[in-house]
Amino acid sequence: MIVVVGLSHRTAPVEVRERLSAGADALPVVLSRLAARPELQEVMFLSTCNRVEVAALVRDDGMKAGLDAIREELARQGGMAEDAELAPYLYDKRGDEAVTHVFRVAASLDSMVLGEPQILGQVKDAYDAAMAAGALKGMLGRCMSRAFAVAKRVRTETAIGAGSVSIASVAVDLARRIFGDLGAHGVLLLGAGDMAEAAARSLSKGARAVRICNRSFDRAAALAGVMQASAARWDELEQELVVADVVVASTASRTPVVTRDMVKRAMKARKGRTLFFVDIAVPRNVEPAVHGIDNVYVYNVDDLEKEVARGLEARHGEAAAAEKIVDDEVKQFLAWTRGLEVQPTVVAMRTKARAVLLTELERTLGGRLKHLTEGDRAALTQMMESAVNKLLHAPTTKLKSRAAEGDDAGELAAAMRYLFDLQELAAEKQKQAERDEASGEGTAEKDEEDERLPH
Amino acid sequence: MPLQLLADLLFGATAGVYFLASVLFTAFLLGRADAAVRWAPRLVAIGVPLHAAQICLWSLVLHVCPVQGIHFALSVASMLVCLVYVLARLRLRIDVVGAFVAPQALAFLLASRFVGGPIDAEPQFRSALLPFHVVANLLGIALFTLAFAAAVAYLLQERRLKNKDLQGMERLPPIDALDRAEHRFLVAGFPLLTIGILTGTLWAREVEAGGAGEIARAALSYASWALIGGVLLLRAAAGWRGRRAAYGTILGFGLTVLVMLLYLARSVMGGAAPA
Repeated sequence: MIVVVGLSHRTAPVEVRERLSAGADALPVVLSRLAARPELQEVMFLSTCNRVEVAALVRDDGMKAGLDAIREELARQGGMAEDAELAPYLYDKRGDEAVTHVFRVAASLDSMVLGEPQILGQVKDAYDAAMAAGALKGMLGRCMSRAFAVAKRVRTETAIGAGSVSIASVAVDLARRIFGDLGAHGVLLLGAGDMAEAAARSLSKGARAVRICNRSFDRAAALAGVMQASAARWDELEQELVVADVVVASTASRTPVVTRDMVKRAMKARKGRTLFFVDIAVPRNVEPAVHGIDNVYVYNVDDLEKEVARGLEARHGEAAAAEKIVDDEVKQFLAWTRGLEVQPTVVAMRTKARAVLLTELERTLGGRLKHLTEGDRAALTQMMESAVNKLLHAPTTKLKSRAAEGDDAGELAAAMRYLFDLQELAAEKQKQAERDEASGEGTAEKDEEDERLPH
Repeated sequence: MPLQLLADLLFGATAGVYFLASVLFTAFLLGRADAAVRWAPRLVAIGVPLHAAQICLWSLVLHVCPVQGIHFALSVASMLVCLVYVLARLRLRIDVVGAFVAPQALAFLLASRFVGGPIDAEPQFRSALLPFHVVANLLGIALFTLAFAAAVAYLLQERRLKNKDLQGMERLPPIDALDRAEHRFLVAGFPLLTIGILTGTLWAREVEAGGAGEIARAALSYASWALIGGVLLLRAAAGWRGRRAAYGTILGFGLTVLVMLLYLARSVMGGAAPA
């Protein structure tokens, strides 16, 4: 059974999350500790800013031991007392619920910012690390690769990732709607505070040049050094407006630092080239009347936040469609896993039927029918094979479909094993399947079955 | 296969391709099919050679020069609009301008077949200048049509930005790209318009055409030339970009359309005239 134990932005504050998180350096150590636990057949460790989770495959009869092992390792990772400190923040998901959770996380339906694209890359990194450590071998590995396909479906079939949902991304989006490619355009930063820096960092990606203009030239020069930009003196502001195409304003000034007259003069010198102001300062740095000048656009914090709200609203509107995709995919995956439970019985039944008929055939061909030519013998063998397949087709498909529908196919499988005296053979096939899964290899029957499975 | 049947098949295929492109562009603009904007321009690109072949074959069937008579000329002009669009979209990000180009190509293609008919120019109007006049005008009109479409799209985008109503903005190209495209189409079309007007003036003197219709057409042609020239001059000298340039372009295109309508009116009323 697949289980997930962990904590996220919904259950734990950042102080707890950061204690448990593991960077790229620490990840192999954590994984090797988890993989060494005998209670866990397969395991994967996911650590992001907003969640720390362990997904594992445990034996049905060893679920409690498996969950306890994960909790112990998480407590060890965070250097916390398991019961007193960590337990209140942890959640665990089992079976169907765990599969749904894994699919929802990969599809960014459980993210702090719904539909954000980074989570899929983070889950893929965790998957790659677990694969490299040999901690993913069978069912959990298949579950994770299915989760990637689900995330892709959600992203392509819904608009869950559409729209900008942060001030910086809205500003970048607007600049692109005005200028297209920013590669031929310059960005001017007015003020050197944290807010401006964050917005300018997004805008300056791919921009031709970034200039920083601040009342304190030293502060501008210091920030310019960090951002690979150049500094400008405050008294050169008007000349800078002639050169820049995107201006991010965030000074602490109580009065506007960019006036209508100043921009009118700059626009004349610019020969009417488009100028875009992102005014994220409160009080505003750019006079509202500047927006009325031809080819000049001024967007303040309220305007940008309105767009953020619209983007979020649009994403939430898509969430229902995304959840439906996840539900469908979970059902398909669970049907496949249930099909695996009856697989040893099916294989045993086919093996036994084929063995009995072939033994009888060989005996007959060595006795009464020994005069038959090679061609006739081959035809007879072929006929027997065909008869076995046709005879067993109905019970095989019925057993599998009963399992896939979620009905209790165990009783039916047990009855088959009893009626056809398959107990020993089925147990042997079960062990064989487990050995194959552990070694990552598959029998012919398993491979044949896999072709019909969700990859 | 008889030429006429082949021409008819090409006509049907071209109309079908333009129609499908128009439907896809409309669906994209209405937000119904985001992928449509990838396929619709390709359909226009498929339509151009079909349209050109149809014009050639149909002119052979009718024994008429393709640029003779206003109906045929409109079809040629719309084909040229599509050709310039297909070439320009490789450099400029103006795919969605096809939402205007495809329906107008379809309309002119259908009009060339079903409205009036191609008539050869009357002998007294024939001149060696005529092919230069017609070809320059048709190419010029094709470029101004695209400039007009870019200007309209620019104004739509600009209004949304000024009103801070950004919904649906992503369906049209960035305003800077539209402004740039509009300017380039005008720059390319203006010399052709100049050649068209010069050859038209010389032709009029040569054949001594001086009726009221000719005078009105000439006056409108000069006005459109002056207006478009003014838009280009003011942009270079005084930074008249964006909204003002877009309005100037729309007005200039409107005047050239009026000239075409005068030709069309004369043609429908029975007189044969070069385009």
